[in-house]
Amino acid sequence: MNSQLGKIKQEFFKSLEEIKDVLQLEKLENEFFSRKSGKMNEVMKVLKDLVGEARKEFGILANELKIEMEKKLAEKKQELNQEKLGSLIQEEEIDVTEPKLPIHEGGHLHPETKVLWEMEDVARSMGFIVEDGPELDSDYYCFEALNIPKTHPARDSQDTFYIKDHPEWCMRPHVSNMQVRLLQKYGVPLRAAYPGRVFRNEATDASHEHTFYQFEALVVGKDINIGHLVGIIKELLRGLYNTDVEVRLRPGYFPFVEPGFEMDMKCLICHGVGCGACKHSGWVETLGCGLMHPKVIEGAGFDSKVWTGLAFGMGLTRLAMQKYKIDNIRLLQSGDLNFLKQF
Amino acid sequence: MLVSFNWLKQFVKLPDSVTPEEVADRLIMSTVEVEGVKKQGENLENIVIGKVVSEEKHSDADKLKVCKVDVGNEELQIVCGGSNVYAGMLVALAKVGAKVRWHGEGELVELQPAKIRGVESFGMICASSEIGLAEKFPVKNEKEILDLSFSKTKIGTPVAKALGLDDVIFEIDNKSMTNRPDLWGHYGLSREVAALYKKELKKYQPANIKPGKGLALKVKIEDTKLCRRYMGVAISGIKVVPSPDWLQARLLAVGQRPINNIVDITNYLMFELAQPMHAFDVRDLVGEKEDEVEIIVRHSKDGEKFTTLDGVERLLTAEMLVIADKEKTVALAGLMGGLNSEIKNDTTTIVYESANFDPTVVRKMSQTLGLRTEGSTRWEKNLDPNNAEFALKRAVELTLELCPGAKIVSQVVDESKFKLNQGPIVVSLQFINKKIGVELKGKEIKVILERLGFEVVFKNEVFSVKVPSWRATKDISIPEDIVEEVARIYGYGNIPTTLPIAPITPAVKNKLKDIEREIKEILVLEFGFSEVYNYSFLAPDLMNKIGLSLEDHLELANPIAKDRPYLRHNLWPNLLENAENNLHRFDKVKLFEIGKVFVGEKPGLRVSQNSDELLPRQDLMLAMVYAEKNVAVPFYELSEALSGLMKRLGYDFQLESAVNNEQKDLIAHHGRGATINVSGVVIGAIAELHPVAQHNLGIESRVASLEINLDKLLECQNKSLNYRRLSDYPEIVRDIAFVVDKKVEHANIVKKFKKVDSLIVNIELFDVYKGKNLSENKKSLAYHIIYQSRERTLTGEEVDKVHQKVLSVIEKEFSGEIRK
Repeated sequence: MNSQLGKIKQEFFKSLEEIKDVLQLEKLENEFFSRKSGKMNEVMKVLKDLVGEARKEFGILANELKIEMEKKLAEKKQELNQEKLGSLIQEEEIDVTEPKLPIHEGGHLHPETKVLWEMEDVARSMGFIVEDGPELDSDYYCFEALNIPKTHPARDSQDTFYIKDHPEWCMRPHVSNMQVRLLQKYGVPLRAAYPGRVFRNEATDASHEHTFYQFEALVVGKDINIGHLVGIIKELLRGLYNTDVEVRLRPGYFPFVEPGFEMDMKCLICHGVGCGACKHSGWVETLGCGLMHPKVIEGAGFDSKVWTGLAFGMGLTRLAMQKYKIDNIRLLQSGDLNFLKQF
Repeated sequence: MLVSFNWLKQFVKLPDSVTPEEVADRLIMSTVEVEGVKKQGENLENIVIGKVVSEEKHSDADKLKVCKVDVGNEELQIVCGGSNVYAGMLVALAKVGAKVRWHGEGELVELQPAKIRGVESFGMICASSEIGLAEKFPVKNEKEILDLSFSKTKIGTPVAKALGLDDVIFEIDNKSMTNRPDLWGHYGLSREVAALYKKELKKYQPANIKPGKGLALKVKIEDTKLCRRYMGVAISGIKVVPSPDWLQARLLAVGQRPINNIVDITNYLMFELAQPMHAFDVRDLVGEKEDEVEIIVRHSKDGEKFTTLDGVERLLTAEMLVIADKEKTVALAGLMGGLNSEIKNDTTTIVYESANFDPTVVRKMSQTLGLRTEGSTRWEKNLDPNNAEFALKRAVELTLELCPGAKIVSQVVDESKFKLNQGPIVVSLQFINKKIGVELKGKEIKVILERLGFEVVFKNEVFSVKVPSWRATKDISIPEDIVEEVARIYGYGNIPTTLPIAPITPAVKNKLKDIEREIKEILVLEFGFSEVYNYSFLAPDLMNKIGLSLEDHLELANPIAKDRPYLRHNLWPNLLENAENNLHRFDKVKLFEIGKVFVGEKPGLRVSQNSDELLPRQDLMLAMVYAEKNVAVPFYELSEALSGLMKRLGYDFQLESAVNNEQKDLIAHHGRGATINVSGVVIGAIAELHPVAQHNLGIESRVASLEINLDKLLECQNKSLNYRRLSDYPEIVRDIAFVVDKKVEHANIVKKFKKVDSLIVNIELFDVYKGKNLSENKKSLAYHIIYQSRERTLTGEEVDKVHQKVLSVIEKEFSGEIRK
């Protein structure tokens, strides 16, 4: 009997060694373990003719052999599988530098939007209301309320777009029309930023546009002074550029502030030594600012002896152009995808 | 404006250690913007006055001459190409070692001895452009060399010295002193420098004019609002000659070409005192009698023609102000004199005008006539009428000095009516300190103000400040103005930087701003649309192409060019134009814009708080456009993005078909359009462009656009997001396909299916078919119907029962034919 088992064992291991793929292995498995005609099953049929010790002994031996064979089969299967998956590596090699096709073109935010959001976020983080208002506004909010008299050159039709049949309406030449509007809407004290679109009756070229964007903000409170003006703007610029900035005030004239200033920021590129970006002066003209004119505060309905304010404004379009080194302002409103795609 | 440092030093003594650059910096920080500091005569070393002794033709070159030039201590042979060189001419001779710019271009080059076509040359006879003097001596033609024969200095004198080029010139940004009429002359700027350096300012004290006899000079001002003062005096015995060197040097330093002594004197006063003046030839002024001159300041007549000094004939209007005699106009007030009365070489008797004109009338005239002069630029700033007197006195003083035979032959006429608001302004010490944010002493402030010419009384911690006349026309009227004066002289850089004390409260949110940003992010990041900024203005050409009525739109009164005069009602027209432009280069164009529109017939905000007049409504709109080559129905591309957007924003919306075959306008494709509705309110529309408009625009493929009113959207309720508990039991999916009439809407089918049974949790359309094998007015739809229960695993029978109901809905409600 043992010799029968021995023969099977010998036969099995010999065949196993010759196995090359999973198909052959399945065949081998069938050959020995098939319920109907498997060689092991055939051998086990002998069992019913045996009795006593011999039966018991044969049973144990046969079972041991079966376990061993099954184990070997499993091992072989694992071995073959690994071989097969391993060989995929070479077949499936790809050029990792190829893009996915067809190429997917994502969307793009306008560059001015990106800069606008940065500014807005800093202003919001400092507790400023951020709000826009009418782009077509009255002579009152654009000029009268801002202490710009009828004879002021800014009111000339050379500088401001007026509306046909409505001589008291114009396209706002600055976002300062929001100063009195916001004060009337929210009252005092107030911290507000009001970036937006403005219009100037100006012929366009690479550096001039009749439509562009400004960022302006105001703070109204009690006892606002020049030191506060510098302090707040410095903080805002620090937030924007994420670094400490050095600034200086120079005299500047805007009818709706008194005193009025131009503010320069020490060049962030050369740190004041002088370079191309700051026209070798070490300083970059950054914004116009001042303490709000008492007439503006009064015009909004507040006592200028009690309430004082500061305001500052800068060209958002210019900031965007500086940031992205855009050399032609007209591209911004060209709707040209070749331009927009870059942002 | 150009400012001469030497001229400033005439009025303020500055220590030699103070450099012009330093003064410029101080002015920048406290007064005006100095854009540049230029040393005269820079790079003019080794360039001297030479006298051409002889000139002969170069034997080997037609256009060259060989000159012998006397340079004082020697005679040099120079090969010269100048077309205007002649023997006896005084020239700018650059010796070997001098630096020149060949033909006025490129870098400076140091001269070496050279052989030119075989002839030795030891230097160069220069053109003005070659030695940086082109501004002073403009070159008329390329081959012209600089003729310095007018110079009276010794041969061999360095050119810089001969031309008096030892000055330093400040270039000041005019815009930085529009509010400071007093700074438009050197005396005013000197006052600033004196205050900044705590130095004394030399008093301006010209001699009084001794009136003379012989000519009766009368002045009549017809409009004293526009002409606030007119002073005049007549002088005879004038000899019109070139001005002396010192005077020429002053004018050249500030960029003025010397003309003759009389004209130069008037210009000199303009640059010294900021008082534009004028001189008339008395022969050209007619009075009542022989020995009488009457000057009338009056409005001109509509349609009057007048030729100014520059030889240009100008058409005047009744709003303009002119200077006239009994018979004719002789000058445009504040702008320019007339050709009919100018100073000529043989002029012997003159009348000086020193007046004061209203800024607005001069500015308006200047604009209307397109004529800006140094004078008009100054009048626009509103000049101090008191200066008229100083200037006239000084002009007479100079005239008597420069023309030894000159004699005053009239009274000094002074017609004036003006009142300046010189205060006093009352302001407390506390107010000034609180506004600046410092603790200055009363005495310090008093000193600062007095240096600037204010008269100050300081009593009980309160200042009473009298404004000097030169600051009283425009610039200083309220306590805040005094604060500025103190702060800028004290030094803005000396003010401590602090932050105001404010409550730590969150800012009020602006929902419109928030949703605008959210939409932009969703459209760009998720749906691949790109943002454009378009003008707020529309071109009639574009409007005509897409069939928009011009009359409905607000119009600019003064558009820049005639091309875009209309204010946009909608954003989509300009977006379509963008699409057209881009489709030449891109197969797919997906753009959007968020911006304001202007609708005249709808009411907006108030014109002012107390007015009933309302501005046009200016809602914030979102518009999108989609076009892609070979995409037949871009409508769906756009409606997909719309659904995605609205879902993210949390709004339920419905598209209501706007299909209308009756509609005759050619804007929207009437078979492919819908209104966008949120809770029953129309907030926008989506449509493809009418094929005719599309064709007119030159777009080849179909193009879809949509527009949503964001102000309106915000008024609608958006739903709050609620989590739906996940079911533990499996879904069962049944597919159905059926044929219905083309007009049956998907949205309606879904609505009806949903009502069938609560076990239906989802309905997905997965195929639409029209065409072959179907009759023309039919379409075939296929849906996945998804069944699920929260309580149990559904059995096949249960689902079959409900599904049967769905089938009967199709047959009964939609007359559909189930496909098997």
